[in-house]
Amino acid sequence: MKEFFRRLHYFLNRRRFDEELMGDMEFHREMAARDGRRNFGNELRLREDAREVWGWVWIDRLGQDLRYAVRMLGKNRGMTVGVVLAIALGIGVNTGIFTLLNAIALRPLEVHDARRVVSVYQTFRGSSTRNVNGAASMFSYAEYLDYREHNHVFSGLLAYQPIFSASLDGEQPRQLQGQLISCNYFEVLNMRPSMGRGLTESDCAAPGSAPVVVLSDGIWRGVFNANPGMVGKVITLNRVPLTVVGIAPAGFRGTESVATEFWAPVSMQPVLDTRSGNSLASDNLSWLVLMGRLKSGTSLSQARADLSIIAGRIDEHHPGRTTTLAIDVASLFGEPEARGYLFGAGAILLAAVSLVLLIVCANVANLLLARASGRRKEIALRLSLGASRGRLIRQLLTESLLLALIGGALGSVAAFWSFDVLFRLLLAHVPHWMPTIALSVRPDLHVLAYALVLTVIAGIIFGLAPALQASKPELNLALKDEGAGLHADGSRSWLRSALVVAQVSVCLILLLTAGLLGHGLREAQTIDPGFAAKDVSVVTLNLDQQNYNDTKATVFQRELIDRIGALPRVDAVAQASVIPLSLDTHGSGIRINGGERVQIHFDNVSAKYFEVLSIPIVGGRHFSEGEVHGAAKVAIVTEGTARRLWPNQDAVGKTFEFQNGAETYNLMQVVGIAKDTRTSSLGAEDEYFFYFPVSSEDQLRTKLLVHAGASFVAIAKGIREAVHGIDPNLIADVHPLDDNLENYRLPSRIVTILFGALGLLALILASIGIYGVVAYIVSQRTREIGIRMALGASAGEVLRLVLRGSMRPALLGVVIGVGCCAGVSRLFASLLFGVSPFDPITFVGVPVFLLAVSLLASYLPARRATRIDPTVALRYE
Amino acid sequence: MSMPKIDMPSGALVLLILRILRSGPLHGYAIAQRIFTLSSEVLRVEEGSLYPALQRILLKGWVTAEWGISETNRKVRFYRLTTEGKKQLEAELSDYNRVNVAIQSVLRTA
Repeated sequence: MKEFFRRLHYFLNRRRFDEELMGDMEFHREMAARDGRRNFGNELRLREDAREVWGWVWIDRLGQDLRYAVRMLGKNRGMTVGVVLAIALGIGVNTGIFTLLNAIALRPLEVHDARRVVSVYQTFRGSSTRNVNGAASMFSYAEYLDYREHNHVFSGLLAYQPIFSASLDGEQPRQLQGQLISCNYFEVLNMRPSMGRGLTESDCAAPGSAPVVVLSDGIWRGVFNANPGMVGKVITLNRVPLTVVGIAPAGFRGTESVATEFWAPVSMQPVLDTRSGNSLASDNLSWLVLMGRLKSGTSLSQARADLSIIAGRIDEHHPGRTTTLAIDVASLFGEPEARGYLFGAGAILLAAVSLVLLIVCANVANLLLARASGRRKEIALRLSLGASRGRLIRQLLTESLLLALIGGALGSVAAFWSFDVLFRLLLAHVPHWMPTIALSVRPDLHVLAYALVLTVIAGIIFGLAPALQASKPELNLALKDEGAGLHADGSRSWLRSALVVAQVSVCLILLLTAGLLGHGLREAQTIDPGFAAKDVSVVTLNLDQQNYNDTKATVFQRELIDRIGALPRVDAVAQASVIPLSLDTHGSGIRINGGERVQIHFDNVSAKYFEVLSIPIVGGRHFSEGEVHGAAKVAIVTEGTARRLWPNQDAVGKTFEFQNGAETYNLMQVVGIAKDTRTSSLGAEDEYFFYFPVSSEDQLRTKLLVHAGASFVAIAKGIREAVHGIDPNLIADVHPLDDNLENYRLPSRIVTILFGALGLLALILASIGIYGVVAYIVSQRTREIGIRMALGASAGEVLRLVLRGSMRPALLGVVIGVGCCAGVSRLFASLLFGVSPFDPITFVGVPVFLLAVSLLASYLPARRATRIDPTVALRYE
Repeated sequence: MSMPKIDMPSGALVLLILRILRSGPLHGYAIAQRIFTLSSEVLRVEEGSLYPALQRILLKGWVTAEWGISETNRKVRFYRLTTEGKKQLEAELSDYNRVNVAIQSVLRTA
């Protein structure tokens, strides 16, 4: 201990100690000289050896290196700025993407002691049936109670249905996104409401016993204008009156990525949720997410062991089934399957931006190599004066790391700043039916650590090659300055070329991907879906949330269709249970003449459906009014279906059996053939598609399609007024059918823009790289070029000479890039809307474009070579 | 007529310095001289070994350095043994003796 203090004391008084030591040794020498003895020895080295005992030498050396590095960087200001900007770009982009992924999937919840809160999911293996309302990895109420009773690792275990939407009655009825929660939810999460109370155990005592609700701060302010007397008021959700007992604290938006606007006790599920029946009593239904707070001192593995015992016991009631539990720190995006997709997409994204960073590193390494070559003389001098190679490498690496840190810091700060903006931009383009996302893209420890590690790695990557190269002791040559290009640089030049090849190939991969996706996107714009979406609006109602029954719904729908039909400029109104390209499909099975079951997609439509969507009937007839609502056993099939099921025959009049329930089949007859449409997916036509007449059972959930010649805003207003005129508590969601096509194009569009932007970035960086390399080569070979020109070479010949050298690596890069891309393009063929993953236009056009750019980037500095005056060049040093 | 340099084991130098300083504080050159003379001119301590060794025992707190006047009327630092240094010297001396006796007995009887 005391030794440490002595060291510290030395550290703080280094200079004085050093002077004292110097004095001692000087005196020693004087005395020795007086006695006639001459001491040889490198005094500096001796002093350093003595100083080393105290152990602080590394700090001094670091300080020296840093000061020197700063001075060196200041001398070539242009290059420094360029390098810093390039690094900032590369690291910034990486940090940005990681911030997003972190916010979604890695960040713990924003609750007290969040690392102790874990989410529990389950996966089943083996044969068993399971009903699912949400995701299969969720739990049933009975299972939740079992885990809650019998675990030994949680101080509290809660359950909730993650997404439950309900319509809020009032002057302006609206759809709210909420959660049904077990009554210890707020307690386990340690969330104290800002007003009123949370839920208590008595609220969950019996189903329907506690009509209470907790509202989010956002809803309290937004919808209820921060009414101070809100607690105690009664609101109506899904036609059920609920008393508000508390307001959640500001900023708490629930435990899912969708912002939660209200919390109701899970015991209210049978009353509030008219669609699903009594989920509490369904023992084999997956609908609840489990989250628990670990007792202090308990580890995740202990929790896993403890809970798997309970899982095993539950499995005994379901022979043949094995349950595996997934227990991890809770985040906003916990569901395992969704998480898997997210990580997959995220990995691809990170790979793309890492490629960009690699290009940046290659670029910078090249530039540093070039600059290090210019400092050969200085380095050789230092080596000959006694500096060790390790010391030199350390010093050069310090320079690189300094550059990396400056660039990395700049890039990260820029990323944090701009990301907020970008994220909001992204959210603005999200389809309208998606609810608010509760993500916070604030940087946290994970992100900072990632940025730091990436920066250091980048610094080492691009700093190592130049440092190693530059410190090779070819002293004699360097000191005599004879490396000036009469012979090829040998090992140095192949490294440079390799870096150019790498840059070009990565750039090409990014551009090719963007090109393919872009081509696919253009195809998507022109795909004929088989129906006319223009001028058609979709109306979605929430009759099932408002306690309607079939009869009431039938009456309502008829009245509504009449009213809408009476609106100005409305041509036709139709009903459909499935809207084309809505990501919603109905599937079932049919049999022909008792043969094998065929899986089909179907839709229940009213007679005017085909008219509204301009789908021609090419055989047979439309449905008649009597058949609609009459539960007639008729069907209209698509051309493709008819061709496949009844080849070379007229399908009209043919019969088939339609599966209606687990074992029942109803006999039906084909009465018409419609043109093919892409109803289920834009990427491909439906293989087997049937239209059935809409029946009274469908009236509760059927949607409306309205074809009108007026502007969408006017029509939407008219429709909403019509709905309100009949029942002011209903919510009518009206949107243009075109939006559905947009939904299909959206992911492709986002990915195309992303890859396009990255590709452009890569292109700029690669061009700068090529330019820099060629410029450097020209400057190195000035003497040689001068000699050639003096001997009679023409400008053209010189140009060709230089360009040949630079285009060779570019060409190689292109070949490699094309090869790589061809290898992986099959992986995202599904995003290409039918464009071949080896699309010739893209695979030829993009490389040609890249080569042209490379040529230009090489030509500009090469031109300078032709302007060299031989006499000046020969004297050039 | 220079003697071939005999390498001194590094631990021994510290021991010698501490022992020499037991008789009183000295400056660096004097320590080297004393070792040279007392060893009948066999052990010559170069600057390169002396000063690092002195720094080491300064670090360990076995000596302190204080300013004084040399024989030539120059201001120079004198090194003085501390109580810890005395203890360390006793410990090292006894260790050294034990090792020495052990080596001697092996050399004699093996």
